[in-house]
Amino acid sequence: MSNKPATDVTRRGFMAGAAGAAVALATGPALSAGKTLNVLSHKVHQTVLGSGDGDLLKDWRKANEAEITFTTFDSNPLQDRLFREASLKETEYGVGYLIDNRPTSQIAALFEPLDAYQKQDPIEDFGDIAPGLVQGMTVDGKLIGIPVRHATQGLFYNEALLEEAGISAPPTTLEELIEQARKTTFTSKAGTPVTGMVLASDLAVFPVMFARAYGGDFISPDLKLVPDRAALEGGLSALRGMFESGSLPRSYATTKNDDQVTWLQQGRAAFTVLPFARGAQLNNPEQSKFAGKIRAVEFPITAGLKGKMPMAAVVEAWAMSIPKNAKDKALAWSFIKEVSSKRVTLGMAVNGNGPVRVSTYADEGLKAKNALAAIEAKVLATARGAFPPFPDAARAQATFLEEVQLAVLGRKPVKDAVSAIIERVKPMMPA
Amino acid sequence: MRIERLLVGAGKALAVAAILFWSLFPILFIAISSLKPGQDIFAVPPKWLFTPTLKHYAELWRSWGVFFEALLNSLLITVGATLLAIVASACAGYVYSRHSSRWLSASIVGLIVVRLIPPIVVTLPLFPIVNALGLSDTHLVLILLYATFFVSLGTVLMRTFMDQIPRELDEAASIDGASRMTILFKVIAPLAMPGVLAVAVFVIVFSWNEFLFAFIFTATRAKTAPLVISEMIGSIDGVDWGILFAASTVQLVPVLLFVVFMNRYLVAGLTAGSTKG
Amino acid sequence: MQSERTARILPLLAPVHLLILSVIVLPSLYVIWLSLNTSSFGQAPSFVGVQNYMRVLADPAFHSALLNTVVLVVVAVHLELAVGLGMALLFASGLPFRRFLLVAVLAPYAVSEVTAVVMWRFLFDPDAGPVTLALRALSLPTLDWSFEPSHAMVLIGLLTVWLHLPFTFVIVYAARLAIPAELYEAARIDGATRWQAFRRVTLPLLGPAMLIALLFRYIFAFRLFSEAWLLTKGGPARSTEVVAIYLYQEAFSFNAFGSAAATAWIMVVVSLLLAGGYVLLLRRGGISHAH
Repeated sequence: MSNKPATDVTRRGFMAGAAGAAVALATGPALSAGKTLNVLSHKVHQTVLGSGDGDLLKDWRKANEAEITFTTFDSNPLQDRLFREASLKETEYGVGYLIDNRPTSQIAALFEPLDAYQKQDPIEDFGDIAPGLVQGMTVDGKLIGIPVRHATQGLFYNEALLEEAGISAPPTTLEELIEQARKTTFTSKAGTPVTGMVLASDLAVFPVMFARAYGGDFISPDLKLVPDRAALEGGLSALRGMFESGSLPRSYATTKNDDQVTWLQQGRAAFTVLPFARGAQLNNPEQSKFAGKIRAVEFPITAGLKGKMPMAAVVEAWAMSIPKNAKDKALAWSFIKEVSSKRVTLGMAVNGNGPVRVSTYADEGLKAKNALAAIEAKVLATARGAFPPFPDAARAQATFLEEVQLAVLGRKPVKDAVSAIIERVKPMMPA
Repeated sequence: MRIERLLVGAGKALAVAAILFWSLFPILFIAISSLKPGQDIFAVPPKWLFTPTLKHYAELWRSWGVFFEALLNSLLITVGATLLAIVASACAGYVYSRHSSRWLSASIVGLIVVRLIPPIVVTLPLFPIVNALGLSDTHLVLILLYATFFVSLGTVLMRTFMDQIPRELDEAASIDGASRMTILFKVIAPLAMPGVLAVAVFVIVFSWNEFLFAFIFTATRAKTAPLVISEMIGSIDGVDWGILFAASTVQLVPVLLFVVFMNRYLVAGLTAGSTKG
Repeated sequence: MQSERTARILPLLAPVHLLILSVIVLPSLYVIWLSLNTSSFGQAPSFVGVQNYMRVLADPAFHSALLNTVVLVVVAVHLELAVGLGMALLFASGLPFRRFLLVAVLAPYAVSEVTAVVMWRFLFDPDAGPVTLALRALSLPTLDWSFEPSHAMVLIGLLTVWLHLPFTFVIVYAARLAIPAELYEAARIDGATRWQAFRRVTLPLLGPAMLIALLFRYIFAFRLFSEAWLLTKGGPARSTEVVAIYLYQEAFSFNAFGSAAATAWIMVVVSLLLAGGYVLLLRRGGISHAH
């Protein structure tokens, strides 16, 4: 009785909303009576596992009488959330997807060492999983994650737009790429204003790729900051030049990863750099105006270095890890084991996942369905991470990107920006 | 003279048109765009004539089931926070309206000062505490947070509205032998209904729309609708803007209708809450 | 007698005060302790004194965030007040369908920040946004917000004004309605022009309400986060970062809880100073205006 007035208010106000929500409750995904495994991941990790009839984990669910609930975030917020969860007394999450440039010693200590699990209840043909990727997930001698996906960056181009601009073959040197991007900055026959190339400005991947095309880097695997100054200057000058001539969008500073996909699908840009695994999405006829016309090649190195050294494309690897404070670790390991099996690895590859098993690339069915598999396998051979993990890596990346943006937008000379990168990032490097 | 009046009239009409455009155009545009077929959304120039389709809503239903679960969570949390805030504020507001002492005036200043603390400040320490109590990812934690950030305003509002109710009523009821609680809920609260409704509007709009707390304190079970929309912004592939517009529309319409129907109380609450606070 | 009364009213006061104490006051005090230590994930806190405060106050990124916040607050809030005042006077001068118009003006109050950002980001999309296209078709300058930091700030400001204009408008309008019509009648009889009536009657009587609206909006705009975060994430090159984003970055991107906590307390202190200053002004100016 005492709170009657209040109930009246809410009841009246929420008639409309309540009706909708009640329907949702009645028909929404059924809640399972058995166990639930909570997984913290990026949306793409969930998507490649398939759904409905194509659900690759159908049998696993049945056998374990368990449901899987995914919580998905964009890459950086996902890592922040995962570490926050793992640092608590207890977490609801059994499995978290971990990116390879984040596990420092401190972070790694938050996750369950998996060597013992692997010894007791081994993953099928573990030696088949690319040793470099396994190495990247071994911190202080402990295996803290099982590699599940790699995203190797390639150069995507819109064949139709290149043709319109009178270009017959994709670039084989960085100089050619810059020239072709300039030529494809035009108004297409369809009347769409086209920008030569679209790149996100909030990821270190792209400036690092340009620096590597000149044989340089941001931070080398052995933790050397800007090992070759001239190469980084070369890469940033190239980006600056492209922005100045309009072959990068004027909205460069706010362009995000997803915009790259949209722009390519809509024919608003001729080139972009994305993981090879995005090929299927870029050519999806339901979303893309240029389905079947968007192809990929290896990102080209400069003419001066061509044939002298291989291009080291950026590869980003994801692994499945178990927070030390997780509740049902046995169930989590069982999930990891199933996802790492040859069958699921192949199934995910068909759905557009970069497979971590060497044997998967040899599969004839995959070759037929995924034309990019062969190119990707070749690029992967010389690829490496954007930068190695260290405690202040997130701050270092933010500082690097800040200076890169200033240089590309022309607010600071390239030389000064590179000096500032060296000067500002140096104190963040591990001693 | 007549020309001047015409000019003034025209000026007013223009100003009214500008106000309407400013306030309503963004809302209407999103709602209309949610009915556009996928490729027309980003068409250059924008298409004003198109065949409306519910495709995006169907797609939302199919691939974002979690959004509808989140709507239900939002509803539960909003109702819970509103009840808690109203009952707590009514009790305290009654005391502040009917009694006075040095301590009471000091504590009401304290309530006002608390309103000045930015919510983002408490997110840092609350996360481990909430987790230690086992409250992480529960509806309860958001109910407590949302109610708490409005009980100070709620108390002030309730006091203001209760001040207008003659004390003789309390005394009469008290002589009839009614207990304090009975007086408050049977005699005072019904008369202070505009105040109750004003508090309700604030808490409901806030709880339904809040983002920061929901982002930090929920994961799967208690996720709210704005949080899912922000996740859609982050993880939507390519041109699925239509689904995003559909979800935004679904989230917006109930609370918009609510504000429309309750506009009197909103105005009364805003006025009393800020000038008397 | 005194203690008996206390015993009677305490249960009624308890819920509100317990909630505030446990959810706001104690955690805020804990933030002070956090701000005097350095800590991160998987790292035990170690005491460093006021070092975190020194570090934040010396950080150029914090300076620019603070400057951005102050400029945004000052410009957006005063613009909002000017427009709100204009609208209040227009409404008070008599309009047809006034109730409908009032509801229309209130509508943005119902919109969540997340949804508002979806709307405005799309309307002002530099390539396909309808507002951008319309401005371009009229050969007017467009908002180049994705490139020019100042334009991005304008968009964030516009979005803030859009979301909060209902609040400012309602405060001023209610105060305007409270002015007795006889005062204008008297002014007219004394031969005052419209402008004089506005200067001598309207403005002084609206003064306290306008000050209150300003105070609240200053304090709330100072904690602005979602609009800026969801529109620009503080970019390009951290040039549109506001203080709350700086705090978020320190805490959740760089996991530096010490400097995040220090930033949090700087925010609290500034909010209290703003409020204190205005309350003083109000005490002195407000009462004399109200006769």
